[in-house]
Amino acid sequence: MKQEYDVVVIGAGPAGLAAAVAASDKGATVCLAEREERMGGILKQCIHDGFGLIRFKEKLTGPEYAWRYENMVKERPVDFLSRTFLTTMKPENGGFDLSFVNPEKGVFSVYAGSLVMAMGCRERTDRQIFLHGERPSGIFTAGQAQDFINLKGYMPGHKCVILGSGDIGLIMARRLTLEGAEVQGVYEIGSEPSGLTRNIVQCLEDYNIPLQLETTVTEIHGYDRLEGVTICRVDKNKIPRRETAVRIDCDCLILSVGLIPENDILKPLSVKMDPVTKGPVVDQNLETSFPGIFSCGNALHVNDLVDYVSESGHLAGERAALYGKKKIQVKRRITLNTAGNIQYAVPQNLTLPAKGTVPLFFRPLRSMGKGVAILKQGERIILKKNLNWLKPSEMNRLPIDLSLIDPDGMTPVFSLENREGVHA
Amino acid sequence: MFFYIDRWYKPGYYNLSGNTTSLVVNVYQEDFISMKGQMKRQLRAVRRSLRNKKLKFVQVVQKGNSVHLSGTADRWEQKVNAGFAAAHKGFKGVVNDIDVRGVVDTEMRLPAVQDSLLEGRSFDAVIVGGGVIGCAVARELSRQNITIALLEKESDLAMQASGRNDGMIHPGFAASPGTLKASYNVRGNRMYTKLAEELGFELKRPGSIILFKSPLMNLLKPIFRRRCRKNGVDGNYRGLSAEEVRKMEPYVTESQKGGFFLPSAGIVSPFRVTIALAENAAQNGAEIFLNTAVTSMDVKNGRISRIQTNRGSLQCGVLINAAGIWGDKLSEMAGDRFFSLHGRKGTDAILDIECSFYQNHILGMPSILGSKKNHSKGGGLVPCVEGNILIGPTSEEVPGREDYSTDSENFRKLLGQLSINQELKPVHIINYYSGVRAASWEEDFIIEPSGKISNLILAAAIQSPGLASAPAIGEDVARMAVESLRVAGVKVIKKKNFNPRRKAIPAVKDLSPEERSALIRKDPAYGEILCRCEEVSRGEIRDALVSSVPASTVDGIKRRVRAGAGRCHGGFCLSRVIMVMAEELGIPITNITRKGGSSRILLHETKENVSDETGI
Repeated sequence: MKQEYDVVVIGAGPAGLAAAVAASDKGATVCLAEREERMGGILKQCIHDGFGLIRFKEKLTGPEYAWRYENMVKERPVDFLSRTFLTTMKPENGGFDLSFVNPEKGVFSVYAGSLVMAMGCRERTDRQIFLHGERPSGIFTAGQAQDFINLKGYMPGHKCVILGSGDIGLIMARRLTLEGAEVQGVYEIGSEPSGLTRNIVQCLEDYNIPLQLETTVTEIHGYDRLEGVTICRVDKNKIPRRETAVRIDCDCLILSVGLIPENDILKPLSVKMDPVTKGPVVDQNLETSFPGIFSCGNALHVNDLVDYVSESGHLAGERAALYGKKKIQVKRRITLNTAGNIQYAVPQNLTLPAKGTVPLFFRPLRSMGKGVAILKQGERIILKKNLNWLKPSEMNRLPIDLSLIDPDGMTPVFSLENREGVHA
Repeated sequence: MFFYIDRWYKPGYYNLSGNTTSLVVNVYQEDFISMKGQMKRQLRAVRRSLRNKKLKFVQVVQKGNSVHLSGTADRWEQKVNAGFAAAHKGFKGVVNDIDVRGVVDTEMRLPAVQDSLLEGRSFDAVIVGGGVIGCAVARELSRQNITIALLEKESDLAMQASGRNDGMIHPGFAASPGTLKASYNVRGNRMYTKLAEELGFELKRPGSIILFKSPLMNLLKPIFRRRCRKNGVDGNYRGLSAEEVRKMEPYVTESQKGGFFLPSAGIVSPFRVTIALAENAAQNGAEIFLNTAVTSMDVKNGRISRIQTNRGSLQCGVLINAAGIWGDKLSEMAGDRFFSLHGRKGTDAILDIECSFYQNHILGMPSILGSKKNHSKGGGLVPCVEGNILIGPTSEEVPGREDYSTDSENFRKLLGQLSINQELKPVHIINYYSGVRAASWEEDFIIEPSGKISNLILAAAIQSPGLASAPAIGEDVARMAVESLRVAGVKVIKKKNFNPRRKAIPAVKDLSPEERSALIRKDPAYGEILCRCEEVSRGEIRDALVSSVPASTVDGIKRRVRAGAGRCHGGFCLSRVIMVMAEELGIPITNITRKGGSSRILLHETKENVSDETGI
């Protein structure tokens, strides 16, 4: 007998946990599938604090934050499948036939009325930034190093170089220092750090760890175990300036060079993807271009705060629960265009008519001291807000009242302009 | 063209090519006495050729029937040019001993282990080299009732050229008719079908298309067909119009102007083939010794009497030189150095499996990378058995025989090949690596018994299409070894209980849902996926640790069952894989290495007092 659920959530990290809770609260029957043994996703290894400031108005560690959601899931009638791996998904009777495998049941099918994809993201590797030289052991992604130290209790190196200034890299710089390793420095190819300012201050400055911008690793040395790296300053086009090459001895290189949303399972269904976010294109309900498939958390776009991840999980879970239940009158689906200093904005689409308030998440393309965010439909201004100190590394959130959008009007445009250049 | 007839062979008996007219074997010095005048002419030809290339500093002498080059060059390129200039002038081999200023001869990297595991042992056959050739020979020899040892200096099999190539089973078109490469390639290609079935490795025959860059190349089609006929290439090879190519490959470059299709071209996972051959040999009694390097040999009365290794000294009835890039050095240890090898590095890159949709056949466009000058078939795009597309290889003459580093300059050249397919982009690359081809100056295989040492058989200078040729080379070299043992009085008879079949580790991902469920019911470990990108279960990883040639390193696991071979590059599964390894092998997790030696992954427990640790 094939089990049937209104909503199946793939992934029990912070996004999936929130989605399962929200879907269940809307009265849906829910199944939560997780490939690891335990719930919590990457939060399990994030033993530093700073989680939950928005969601719980408290400073929690990653495991504490995960534990709260885990309890919320357990209090509800949600079927949790652990060590369960999704192998294929096929559309069937308006819903989906999912094929799973796990040690207890072998291969088995589940029917899902709708799906919430909450697979999170993976880290870019040394191979994806085209590092050359030899291939010794001792090169880790920041997440790997975090797993080894925090969950397994082992040191991956003594003398470390950190390439890239992503948040996990910064946090690992502090963590490695606290565990007695020597962190030689953090090297970032860009002209600005890619992690949050609070992490630059709390993880590097407080521990006197140097951060060198416009610098990258150009060569790996050592046959068996890493013996050193060559670092180079880069020019404006990020091309290494060979004359600045310096060799640094180290036994460990930690990479924090970006995160990629994991959506490979969606590929066979030709779900429309956003080339900038690397996640699916969604509307205000976080529904993808494939009806009944919802996306949230870091699988949708890479967030800097877990609170935002949970928020999108809640929204996706809630809307997935409503999917197929209510006949939603759809007049048109439109693109939310962006202009000015915007790197990306999520949702990318709007399904109209719509009401209620949803968060619009965006990142600027470049840093900006004084900016103004404007949402316009034709000449009509729907929202206008002054924002200060915008950075590509820090995500912004603006609530928008959808009832203000005219379903028959022009395509809305969301833009970010320099405040000096705009006359109100 | 010289056709040498060697007394070891009776023409036709070995059927080297399946086509007796192209039998090419060698003769030795004593047969040459009447040819002294010819030797002088040959030497003159070498000197003339060097002069024409402005390489006057090279000193040329004849030793035995080889020509030896010496002198000091300013650049590596000059040494390479001199080697090629001296080749094909009628000598059996070119020994290129030219020094290059600022370049130190590479020392062979030796295993750290020192013990007496092999001290006092004796084997009928000792094979040096655990690449695809050595392992193919071991499997063929394991059909006989003799004792066999295969010695490999690395921590695993297929660690050098055999594990660092594009996995292509060439159709046998590229090599010139009459060469050993041509005949072994065609024969080996044919043998792969049965071998894959017996040993349980995956073989696909997508066929390859040589794309034409210019419409003029369409005029070559009859010449291509003739060459196929001469080499005995299998299948319905044929010319294709640009239109037909597009139909077969919808995403192919717009700049193609037709092509030539070779349907017998196949693909395999080269390390899985090597390991499968060795495991079957081991099942049939051959002993495989990893981390074991030959350091010297004692030769008495024209025979190798004793072999010294880092694990003690041993005796052999016959020694098979399948030492890859070190083949010339091994022959030198036995006192029969009539050729020399030089490294030619190639870099390959692997694309994300999501690109598998965009290509069906092996595609190459020779003029993009290759030219006659760099002795490569030009590389291309190869759809691997696992579905990923591979780009490569490049071709570069290098001094370092074990220099597997990659560099941005060659990598850029490699990326140029992406243009063959409109959909492939650098962002799809998930991995890349280099290998070093063991090239002789004559650019052909050396597969023959030594003329000087009666119990030494050579399988040397094996570069592309070595993987494709391996099954055929294995067969012939095993026959030569048996012949040598028989001449020495060893009674060699076929084993009655030889089992040609090997039970492969089940790839749960490829099983039907019913088979997979049945397997998981029997053993739940097959239901626990540890590597998400490649869908590899704990059960498969455990199996790789207990097979007849077990994995002992993280890379060993990756090569056998693909855990860590996917897009996250082990980001998620490395910690789980090493936990399973430590558990199954019963060793501390800090002893697990990536590839043997000192390539440890983790150094010690956190909070452990490290003041007495050496190193950094």
